[in-house]
Amino acid sequence: MQENYDENVLVLKGVCKEFPGVKALADVDLTIRRGEVHALVGENGAGKSTLMKILSGAYKKDGGTILFNGREVEIGTPKAAEKIGISIIHQELNLMGSLTVAENIFLGRQPRSRGIVQWKKMFDDAQALFQRLGIDEDVRRPVCELSIARQQMVEIAKAVSVDAKVVIMDEPTSSLTSRETEILFSIIGTLKEQGVAVIFITHRLEEIFRVADRLTVLRDGCYIGTREVKETTKDELIAMMIGRELTQQFPARNAEIGEVCLKVEHLSDGRRVRDVSFEVRHGEVVGFAGLVGSGRTETMRLIFGADKRRSGRILINGREAAMATTRDGIRSRIGFVTEDRKGEGLLLSLPVRFNITLVAIRKIQRMRMLNMKKEQQVSEDYVKSLHIATPSINQRVVYLSGGNQQKVVVAKWLFSDSEIVILDEPTRGIDVGAKREIYEIINRLASEGKAVIVVSSEMEEVMGISDRIIVMREGEVAGTVERKDFSQQRITEYAVGGTAS
Amino acid sequence: MSGGAQKRNLTAGKMVSYAWNKLGVWLVFIILFILLAFANEKFLLPANLINVVRQICVNAVVALGATYVVLCGEIDLSQSSLAVLAGCGCAMLIMRAGMNIYLAMVISLAAGTVVGALMGLIVTKLRVQSFIATLGMQYALAGVVLLLTNSQPITGLPDSFAVFGRGYVGPIPVPSIILVIVFLIGAFVLKYTAFGRNVLAVGENPTAANLSGISVHRTKIAVFAIAGLMSAMGGLLLTARLSSGQPSSGSDLSLQALAAVFVGGASKGSVMNTLAGALIMGLINNGLNLMEVNAYWQKVALGFIIVGAVALDMFRSSHSGSKQ
Repeated sequence: MQENYDENVLVLKGVCKEFPGVKALADVDLTIRRGEVHALVGENGAGKSTLMKILSGAYKKDGGTILFNGREVEIGTPKAAEKIGISIIHQELNLMGSLTVAENIFLGRQPRSRGIVQWKKMFDDAQALFQRLGIDEDVRRPVCELSIARQQMVEIAKAVSVDAKVVIMDEPTSSLTSRETEILFSIIGTLKEQGVAVIFITHRLEEIFRVADRLTVLRDGCYIGTREVKETTKDELIAMMIGRELTQQFPARNAEIGEVCLKVEHLSDGRRVRDVSFEVRHGEVVGFAGLVGSGRTETMRLIFGADKRRSGRILINGREAAMATTRDGIRSRIGFVTEDRKGEGLLLSLPVRFNITLVAIRKIQRMRMLNMKKEQQVSEDYVKSLHIATPSINQRVVYLSGGNQQKVVVAKWLFSDSEIVILDEPTRGIDVGAKREIYEIINRLASEGKAVIVVSSEMEEVMGISDRIIVMREGEVAGTVERKDFSQQRITEYAVGGTAS
Repeated sequence: MSGGAQKRNLTAGKMVSYAWNKLGVWLVFIILFILLAFANEKFLLPANLINVVRQICVNAVVALGATYVVLCGEIDLSQSSLAVLAGCGCAMLIMRAGMNIYLAMVISLAAGTVVGALMGLIVTKLRVQSFIATLGMQYALAGVVLLLTNSQPITGLPDSFAVFGRGYVGPIPVPSIILVIVFLIGAFVLKYTAFGRNVLAVGENPTAANLSGISVHRTKIAVFAIAGLMSAMGGLLLTARLSSGQPSSGSDLSLQALAAVFVGGASKGSVMNTLAGALIMGLINNGLNLMEVNAYWQKVALGFIIVGAVALDMFRSSHSGSKQ
């Protein structure tokens, strides 16, 4: 390996990792060049996280070798990884909210003189670091005052400050707006220039083509291949990821659009939603596009009754509905698949069947008692019809993959006979194969005459599945686009407030 | 690291984990029972076993209430004061007001339920953390007990009342019959009613529960009311056992109940685990007594056993749950 010393900073050969009953990684190779952005791609459960955990010292590998700058290394602990020069930025940020930016960067290794922290030096060092990365931020501010994107930059600075040669970013853009994503990409560019290699994990394929130099695909714990991004097409990449050609990403729909089902008039919450009006018909799929923070989720919460509205009316099949609590929403037969399925949608450590019958528990009641047989039958029916991959309906939801978890949430709202189904970012963090299944479920809902609302920040998705797209900007409806007029440019113009040409 | 040894370990480990999966914390109870049977010949005497059951009744009944609160993600530290208040209050109604004993008991149980619900209101509507709210109530209620009784025991309770604490039906103590009945009801409600599901849902994820149309506040108020009811019942059993209302008795009931809940591992979502927890604590007490261990050392041992039991449970669940 000595001959590659100059070019390759990190070389993995035949890395294996086994968990009881699961072969998580089998013979995985990975070569990271100095100063490159290397995308690591694969569906959920492909082994990306496991591989990164091995690199960052959270797991120990069972076999294979890791060479860093041509020397074989053992990464036993996170501290060892840091010492070698590998830093990881997790999807969930690990910052202390009440401490300042500088304190967070130098947490546990503050510049000291005889045991006393040298505050001035710490602030100066942090500021210099920010300058080097091209980040404009006061390092004396408490982290909790910063936006998520800014906090992430603190994480990056923290990672770089230990003199990392390889920085791993695990889905760094999942909670960023598109503008913030741009800033992140420019920081990645700066890191590259300084010879730092970035391993970039994302589910958004467009980002790979935007920012990465090379990519490596994993599937079912196996190494599939490494490609130059420039010489790879999106279809090839998807085929590598799922192991077959994906004929069509968005399945065709055959639904009849009927009467108006949901009508929203002048809805406001006094803060993030301002005078929103729209309607959704039976059998129609209406997409909600817009930047993160444009008030889409807030609007949906008002419609469902999860938050209190200040003014406006909500009519369902022509009749005004109260919507003061979530129970009003459920009584009006609205189903709400929330954006944060783990935090808001699921009872993670409870079994699948509990989750499915959670909302419509009355339907399995007889004489005020739960009928377990009926619950079992209902749950098994949904597991079958939605293709939920689970060993049993008694499996705890936490052990299912993201896509299957999402299907459990959908099953919950189907069982409660929802007539209006709101799906907020339904495919976030879900792999390509499961995405298509979710799209198929959406189509099925529409063809059963339900009114469907899909909030999505993925442009292709929202254009692929909607009959009509409503674009929101700063809490208001900025524009509506009919299917025949769908174009990325048009939607973006509404979303950012540019003038239509 | 010979492969043979590893393989044997694996199968032995498999058997243990199989038994654990089937029996859970009852496995600990069984092992403990067998150990004590071998360790001391007096242990298996019917009189001794009945004694064990009699002694855990008060604790177990209170712990049943604590189980619901803990499953709902809260904690109730006021149960001991409420139990003593209900017990002494009932004794006062009988002795000082000359009330019919059954009416006095019903009033005490109702009062316990109302105070519990009040606790729930404080936790939900005033948004005081349950640890703090019930800690405060623990003091306040203890004060009320002293005010009412002037710190004097209320003695001379009639036998028709004492029978609930010390009576027998054939060889079976009356309180243990009550114990079995309330645990069967408690287990049934948790497993076979929508309310039981709501308790589990709120304890697991209040946000998701709310978005699924469950009233988080109403559920929490209800579990505190149940805890209040069970505290009062425990207090009545205690008073009946002592045949007198003792203002200074039962001061560590709350913590003993919580210990039973956690030793039983109520996080598994089963009421019967709490019964196992209470029985295990009863066996340990009894075993140490039979072996004539100094009472002070008994406390030390019990403390470590409680911490050890929970640590073991955590270790086990973190290892069985490590899929990927």
